[in-house]
Order: sequence, then structure tokens, then C-alpha cells
Amino acid sequence: MTSLIRDPLLWILLVVLIAAVFAVMRARRTNLALRRTRKDLETSLGQTQGQLAQQQAHITALNARHQGDLADVRADAESSTKAVLKSAMGTLQSLAEEQQLLLDELLKKYGNDTEVLADLMAVDHTGSQFSRRAKGISVLCGGWLGRRDGAATVYDVARSAQGRIKDFNRVGIHAQVSVSVSTKAVEPVAVVLAELLDNATTYSAPGTPVEVNIQAVPTGVCFIVDDAGLGMDQETKDRAAALLSPEGAVDITSLGDPPRFGFAVCGMLAARYGFAVSVGSVSPYGGVRAVIRVPESLLATEAPAPAEPVRETSDEEAAPQRLAPVPVGPSHVVGRTNGGLPKRRRRQGPISVVPSPDAPATADEPTPEQASEVTASRLGAFARSTQLGRITNTMEGPDQR
Amino acid sequence: MTDPGQEESVSSDFVRSYVITGGRSLPSSDDLALHTLVTLAPERTPPLGAGPEVTAIWELCAGGYLSVAEVAGHLGLPVGVARLLLTDLSEQGHLLHRAEPPRAQNVDRATLEKVLHGLQSLIS
Repeated sequence: MTSLIRDPLLWILLVVLIAAVFAVMRARRTNLALRRTRKDLETSLGQTQGQLAQQQAHITALNARHQGDLADVRADAESSTKAVLKSAMGTLQSLAEEQQLLLDELLKKYGNDTEVLADLMAVDHTGSQFSRRAKGISVLCGGWLGRRDGAATVYDVARSAQGRIKDFNRVGIHAQVSVSVSTKAVEPVAVVLAELLDNATTYSAPGTPVEVNIQAVPTGVCFIVDDAGLGMDQETKDRAAALLSPEGAVDITSLGDPPRFGFAVCGMLAARYGFAVSVGSVSPYGGVRAVIRVPESLLATEAPAPAEPVRETSDEEAAPQRLAPVPVGPSHVVGRTNGGLPKRRRRQGPISVVPSPDAPATADEPTPEQASEVTASRLGAFARSTQLGRITNTMEGPDQR
Repeated sequence: MTDPGQEESVSSDFVRSYVITGGRSLPSSDDLALHTLVTLAPERTPPLGAGPEVTAIWELCAGGYLSVAEVAGHLGLPVGVARLLLTDLSEQGHLLHRAEPPRAQNVDRATLEKVLHGLQSLIS
């Protein structure tokens, strides 16, 4: 036993055992502590994740609010810009209309003076283009366009549109139909066609033709505009298609700088009045083909008023007073020409009382020898002069008789 | 947005005169003076593709002589524009024109009295 006690191996074993027990206990304590720490950490991680989610939700909400506010501000800015533009354009439109009315008068007043007339026409041309621009912007801003007093033939609508662009000389109009566009659609169709013609002439080489063909289709009438330009790329086509079938108001600040109003104006007017505009097909000349289709509901059923101003007089008075061949004195008709005009015998004396420059001054004074022939010619001259006087009267208005 | 029904009325000429002339330069007034008389040449058919103005001239001039000024007045066009259209028709041989009748000048009172006396003696 003593030997056992004294055996160092036993002591060593004991020490090792104690150390092992101690180590195990310590390890266990550490393990427990670690477990506790892990649990704590896990709890706090959960909390943090919850907070994070909350924060994220908050950010999303703020973002949405911000976007909403921004859209509101944009809409506000857009609508106030539109209101300002609409009112400003309204003034310009009225002025342009006033100028054109003035020019209508001036063109007639100075109609006989070739040079003045040509200059006035040049002024009129720029005025018409100016008016078209103002109308386009006004329409985009919800303003008025102007209403014509009567229906107009499709040919006149096309010619009116032609007059509103710069290179109107390049435009050729071929009307296969002679129907009329109803009063309310006259101006919008003319404005839209003018925008399409402006595009066609702007985006094709100078000097190339731009053709307008007007054809009847089962559902109405089509104005077909063909140019010989380079055509449009896909991006432009998509943009045009979007603008031509607008969903709601057009954002005028998104039209670029300088703004390209054309398609937006077409889309707005087409939607507002109920006709269709499409671009994107290829013209026979390799350029763009644009088509306005005016439905039957926008065509006038009755014939348009005649071009000449309607007068408040009876037909008899309104009929032109023609200078019919007046038999002068005794009839000198001796036959008829091939054209059916009366042939008259040559007179011996002058039939006019106007003295010819080389005639002697005394020719006016009748002598007893010049008998009935002179009297007859004087009567004839008298009749002719009164006829002439009546012609001059009809220039200023209906005959006073 | 303005309703189509609330549109303001515009009454300026719908088709502007420079479109009717096609931007061509206008003939001088020497060719067809204000009082030159024009009428349709016999047995003519209207040119193909004649515009509304040419058709109107055709109808106006079919019945006898009208002065250039009258044609312009009835068409509601400036005289220069009507003159261009008339010149075209004339060059195509559709129109006959003759110079204006010489303007009657004031006849002195004595002559008029003599005419009056002559008439009176014829009647009585």
C-alpha cells in the first residue's frame, strides 16, 4: 500500500486526473458562457434586422412620397406653363388673324399694282406661317384653334394647308374627289395637313416634290402626303406613333429644344376632333408617307358655299352685268364670223366723241351737212359711255339702279 | 381645355392668294388692263384639272364680255391674281380679249343741248 502511495506514477496520475477534471469543468463553463453570448447575439441580430426592415419601409414610403410630390410639382409647372402659353398664344393668334384680315383688304385694294401686290403676298406668306406656329402651340396648351364659317372642299383645305408652310411651291395637290369637309373640321384638318407638309418639306431635299393625294375610301376621305426624303428611323417612327395617338395631355417640356411640335399637334387635334393621322409607311418616292383619314362624320353633306362672297341681293342683281354687244344706231351687221360674232360694216366717220389727237379740233362741232350718220354715231357713243359708266359702278357694289 | 364648340371664329380668306398664283410672278398690268374686256373663245372645253377659280372664270366669261376688274370682283380675288389666271387662259387660247372701250370724255354743254333738242324734235 505504502509502495502504492509512494509510487510517483500514482501521484502523477492523480494530478493529471485532477487537471483533467478541472479542464473539463472549465471547458463546460466556457461553453455555457459562449452559448449565452450566442443567444444574446442572436436576439440582438433579430432586433437589428427588424429595425432595418422598418427603416427600409420608411425609405420606400419617403421615396414614394417624394416621387408623388415631384410629379405634382411637375404637373403644376406644366399646367401653369400651359396656361401662360395658352393665353400668350391666344393673343398672338388674334393678332395674326387681324393681320390676315387686314392683308385680305390690302391685297384687294392694291390688287392692280403688280409690285405692291407681290410684296403684300410675301408678307401674307410669312404671316400665315406665323399663325400656324401660334395655333400649334395653342392647341398643345389646350387653347382655341379657330372655327371657319363654312364647309370647304378637300381641295381648298389642302391649298389652305399648303399656304401655311415655307416651301409651298414644292407641294402638288391632286384631288380625286370633290367632297367637302364639315365646318368644324375644316381648320383642324388644314392645320394637321400643314404640319405634315412642313415635316415633309423640311426633311426632304430642297427641290424635291411633295405630293398630296386626296382619295375617297369607304370610311371617308384620305389626305395622303408623300415626300422624297430619306424616311424615318425606327426611333423616330416610334416617337411619332406615340405622339400621334396620345394618351392624355402632351408634356410640352418633353418635346425637345428646339421643340418639335408637329406630331404632337397632329395627335392632339386628331384625338380632339375624331380623325386619324398615321406616318411611318414608305412613300413611292422612298420618303415618308403620312395619311390623314377624315371619317364620313366630319364630311359635309351639302355642297360648299361658292367661293365668291354671298350677297344679300336677288339673283338678278347679283348676276354679273355683262357688256353685251349693243347695236349702235342703225344696224350695220352684215354677217357673222366663224366664231359667231357679228360682222359689221365699216363706218365712215368716228363713232366716238373722243377726239383723236390728230383730228382737227373742230371735228366736235357738227355741221348741218353731216346728217343722220353723225347723229347716230353720237347716240351710239352716248349709249356706250353709259354702259361704261355702269361697268365702273359694278366694281364698287351692286348697281344703284 | 377649350371645347371645339367654343372656338373663336376666323374669317380671313381660307386659301391665300399666293397659293392660287402658285408663287409665280404676276403679269404686268399692261397685258390686261383693268378695263380690258374678256370673253370665252367659242367651242372651248375647260382645261383639265382646272382649279375652282378657273372654273369660276369660265362660268363668268361664258355669257359675254366682262372687264378684268369685274372678273376679279366676282371672284373676290385681288385684280393681279385674277389677271394672272386670265393671262394663262388667254395664252392657252381660251379667252378672247379686246381693249377697253375708249373712255368717254366730257362733252361740252352746247353739244349735249343740241343732242337734247335733236331728240326732242325727233319725239315731238
